[in-house]
Amino acid sequence: MTDGPPDRRALHPILRLALDYGRPYRWSYALGALALLLTNWLTVRIPVVVGQGVDALRDGAPVGRSALLVAGMGIVVMVVRTASRVWFFNPGRDVEYDVRRDIFDKLMRLQPEFYARHKRGDIISRASNDITWARLAMGFGALAVFNITSGLVLSGGQMVLISPRLTAFVVVPLVLSLVIVRFFIQMLLETQREYQSETGLLSDQVLGSLQGMATIHGFVAEEAFIDRFEARNERVYALSMKLAWLRSVAFPLLILGGGLSLTLLLAVGGPMALRGEVSVGDLAAFATLLATLGGPLRSLGWMLSIIQQSRAALERIFELLDAPVARPERALPAPAPSPSPGCGPGFQVRGLTFAYPDEPDRTVLHDVDLDIAPGSVVGLFGRTGSGKSTLVRLLARQFNPPEGAVQVVGRDGATAELTALELDDWRARLAVVPQRPFLFSDSIAANIGLEDPPDLDRVRTVTDRAALTADLESLPDGLETVVGERGIMLSGGQRQRTALARGLYREADVVMLDDVLSAVDHETEARLVETLTRLRGTERAPTTLIVSHRLSAIRHADLIVVLDEGRVVDQGRHDALIARPGLYRDTWRVQSERKAAPAADVQGGVA
Amino acid sequence: MSTPPPRAARPAPTDRDDLRAEGSDARILATVWPYARPDGWTFVLAVVVTPLVALLNLAQPWLLKRMLDEHVVVGRADGLTQVALLYLAAVVGAYLCQAAYTVALALGGTRTIRRLRSALFRHVLGLSQSFFDRQPTGRLMTRLTGDVDALGDALTAGAVTIVLDGLTIAGVLVAMLLLDPGMTLITILLAPPLLLAINLFRRVARKLFVEVREALAAVNAFMAERIDGVEVVQLYGHEAVAAAQFDRRNQHFRGLTTRSNVYESAIFSLVDGFSSIVVGALLWFGAGELSATFGLDIATVAVSVGTVVAFIDYLDRLFVPLRDASNKIAVIQRAVAALVKIAGLLNTTERVPDGDQRLEALRGHVVLRDVHFRYRPDAPDVLRGVDLEVRPGEVVAIVGATGSGKTTVTRLLDRSYAGYRGSITLDGVELSSLALSDLRRNVAAVRQDIQVFSEDIGFNVDLGNERIDAEDRAQAARLTHANRFIDALGWDHVLRERGADLSVGEGQLLTFARTMAHDPGLIILDEATASIDSLTEALVQDALANIFARKTVIVIAHRLSTVQAADRICVMADGRVAEQGTHDELLAAGGRYAALVAAGEGVLAGPEAAGLSSGGTDSERP
Repeated sequence: MTDGPPDRRALHPILRLALDYGRPYRWSYALGALALLLTNWLTVRIPVVVGQGVDALRDGAPVGRSALLVAGMGIVVMVVRTASRVWFFNPGRDVEYDVRRDIFDKLMRLQPEFYARHKRGDIISRASNDITWARLAMGFGALAVFNITSGLVLSGGQMVLISPRLTAFVVVPLVLSLVIVRFFIQMLLETQREYQSETGLLSDQVLGSLQGMATIHGFVAEEAFIDRFEARNERVYALSMKLAWLRSVAFPLLILGGGLSLTLLLAVGGPMALRGEVSVGDLAAFATLLATLGGPLRSLGWMLSIIQQSRAALERIFELLDAPVARPERALPAPAPSPSPGCGPGFQVRGLTFAYPDEPDRTVLHDVDLDIAPGSVVGLFGRTGSGKSTLVRLLARQFNPPEGAVQVVGRDGATAELTALELDDWRARLAVVPQRPFLFSDSIAANIGLEDPPDLDRVRTVTDRAALTADLESLPDGLETVVGERGIMLSGGQRQRTALARGLYREADVVMLDDVLSAVDHETEARLVETLTRLRGTERAPTTLIVSHRLSAIRHADLIVVLDEGRVVDQGRHDALIARPGLYRDTWRVQSERKAAPAADVQGGVA
Repeated sequence: MSTPPPRAARPAPTDRDDLRAEGSDARILATVWPYARPDGWTFVLAVVVTPLVALLNLAQPWLLKRMLDEHVVVGRADGLTQVALLYLAAVVGAYLCQAAYTVALALGGTRTIRRLRSALFRHVLGLSQSFFDRQPTGRLMTRLTGDVDALGDALTAGAVTIVLDGLTIAGVLVAMLLLDPGMTLITILLAPPLLLAINLFRRVARKLFVEVREALAAVNAFMAERIDGVEVVQLYGHEAVAAAQFDRRNQHFRGLTTRSNVYESAIFSLVDGFSSIVVGALLWFGAGELSATFGLDIATVAVSVGTVVAFIDYLDRLFVPLRDASNKIAVIQRAVAALVKIAGLLNTTERVPDGDQRLEALRGHVVLRDVHFRYRPDAPDVLRGVDLEVRPGEVVAIVGATGSGKTTVTRLLDRSYAGYRGSITLDGVELSSLALSDLRRNVAAVRQDIQVFSEDIGFNVDLGNERIDAEDRAQAARLTHANRFIDALGWDHVLRERGADLSVGEGQLLTFARTMAHDPGLIILDEATASIDSLTEALVQDALANIFARKTVIVIAHRLSTVQAADRICVMADGRVAEQGTHDELLAAGGRYAALVAAGEGVLAGPEAAGLSSGGTDSERP
């Protein structure tokens, strides 16, 4: 539905929403409209029947029929009005559901490039807040449009039929108050938003102060924090007073308008009735009609504001839905078969130069040449910002490398252009553990398996390999422990090892670890490296890339690549690299000194 | 940068909410009343105006009836203008009184809330560290935001308007009785089933509403989390599974809203049809018959056109407040619950006792003699006779196993905790008799839990202290190498929540700069061993060296290099100082220190206990 014809994009977003999403629910709308018409008709009819009943009563005629009719109509009004609201509001809920589903699907497909350009907070706010306007527009909005139209036509029409002159008088205050209130509604909505964001900031500030209490106390900064709090508290106060004025002075204008209309009815209609220009019954009917017209008129102001608000919100929603996915799909017309399936392929990198699409002027990799043998273990070393992670991202095809730069080499020597492979096929062969271990607030098993349901035996095997089993015993529910938001329940090292287990679960042909061993102690690190390379030399050995700035993690690699400022400055085995001057040897000296000292690295050990 | 790892010795946050005021309602009100009193007049005004609003509103249908029955129907022109004018006066008067009444309430309510919130914040800032160790942050947040708001809602909307509603209902009933007792009787007879139905629906709707809110929260939380972790989702081909999981939550939410929709629509519509049923019933019985049944002496044909019109109007005015009453009562109940908790917080007086001895500039001579301490009266001693002296300009490293009491010693020194036994003197003055603010100005602690505020960097360094000028700040930043990233970001750069835009190492340098800018006489360092890249690590080490060279420092050391840089090492065990001396002396002595050093890496807790947590590793790209 999202990739509708491009001309749809020129439409008013509400209209587009109705066309793209509202269509399946047209029958519900139709039923709702019928029910609403019936409701409005009944509301107008009841006073007439009452009038007949009163006349009958006065004449001493039997009133049973009128009485039953009036009471029955009352019951029908209850049922039909309920039904009309249900039929109108449910499509709003359905559309909200549909849009939310589509947005989620879209967000899962949008690429790192998109996420680099947009703030996550903004995306989340669109997907969770703006979407409520879709519901309002398609539910309440639709009801209001129909209600107002039919109300104006039916009640207004009836009034004009009775007396155009009286109608003209009576409608003036209603319309006037409507115009004024419409202005205030706009103000109200803006103020409300401001108020919400300001109270949000106030909460953030309170939270920040509570979390930093030790510092505030320690540096005797209480007054400074109170000052900042007071400033914000004052703004919240001012805004809530503004809201109060709007609510208590501006909005009751509508009721005042209704009262003034009735006054005019008395002042103008009374004498008219005395002169016989309208009948007494007409006057009574007019009073009732005025009441039934007041409702729709009152909601007109809201409706106009909803249209305006939801327009802006829906534009933001459609912006998301229309965002091009730009997946780094296969770049070449013919798909190439993936070399050496079932075991680790090699890579041949030639003249790889790369800049991220959102920063085309900043070259991150310069002319990188690299040969990675199938099934080998490769260490990538370099300082922060040297391009290690970018290289991993390109091999994982989070971004497509430039054409011709990376070839995948099979064990049998067959080669294929990396970008010629089907993206999904390629990704299925990878296990990439990114630098920041990201865990979902789900059970450890679900986080490792990422399947529904995960294969628990396999999960147990890989938690063991990832040296996580001992930790599980200290957790309340073992593998079923829910780890909290972003894995807050776990320590940094436990998070890293869980992410690692997730990578191992895949039994992939290419394993890429982006500095995931940084928060584990040296002993565990050694165990993990051993686990990771246990298939080395066998038929099924995966190709393993380990990014690390701790050299102990990569010293046993078949090949160590040293990157600096986006260039390969050195490569070779550990022994060769420490034999010649350079970044690697310098770092090795610093790091091994700490280890070699009698105390070794007492990190935390003395704590 | 999370909260510090829980120490065995310190009390853990409790699940039990002990922030509830004890005692009678009167006492609870007395705690909060001072914050409302300055605006007491607004509440008085509201109460005075209330009957007027009710009266003016009720006069309108009656005037309408008079016009219809006494003038229009019988064709009498004189006096009609007067009735119209009276009607106008009632309408305008009702509007003005109602506006005055609601504005007065809002003014009193929001001002009270502003005052109360501010007082609560001040109050909380004054509480001692032991209080914060016990109270989960989330609970305090609720007191300061949610509970205060609940009270505000009741003050501005609920509590007093319910008086107006009560008056209106009473007035409507009287007016209806005057207008037509028969109709009133029928109304009273028919009303209970309607109200019962409404209340039943409302109860279901409210329960559903809670479920709807939870379901929506689950939908949004799931989505936000997958957006955050979208990289993992894509790399692991997890899109379809995630979509299916999301769909379950999305569908659950839709199902609930669809159900609650029915109830809400019904509540809205029930009142609408009710007046017709009453009128129908009236016609059925006939006014005369009814009067006879109930022995009332009323003219047979009491029903007139005017009566019917006025009556329908009155019914609306009667049922709207009745319909909303249960909502308003819920608001008031929430507010009362909130009030009890707020009063409980205000009545908490867990403070570190203040002394009156002033201290201008601390030289840094610290002497502890036979210091004992326990966190709670019923807990065992954590410190069991600590003797320690630190001379001005000295750098003393404290090492020891978890639970040996080394952090506790430093927490006594900056008076995070009071109530030690024995003697602690600073420059010869007993700690407990020092003015708290003077003490804290002179003793600064840098803890493992890096505390960064979502304010500009300048404020994060000087914390609003007016005695620190821009030059002091800049110098402190240079000394601690924090200038490396501050120069790139700028002093005005507003940090993200919890310093998410700084790496762990940068956060640490920032807290060093903060400490040096405040120029304290004694610095306490809880050296963190966060995992940072070697470049930043070198900066941190160098910054430490600069601090060591200039200040009296007590450092809880984890790294051997730091321990070696200290003038003296003090090994703690079981709440006492077990041994002290230089690195070489202690190694030669072959005691606990030598054993700790020999145990080497990775034997104890390991670095992960120390510092690395969400949102702060060095990364090349966000």
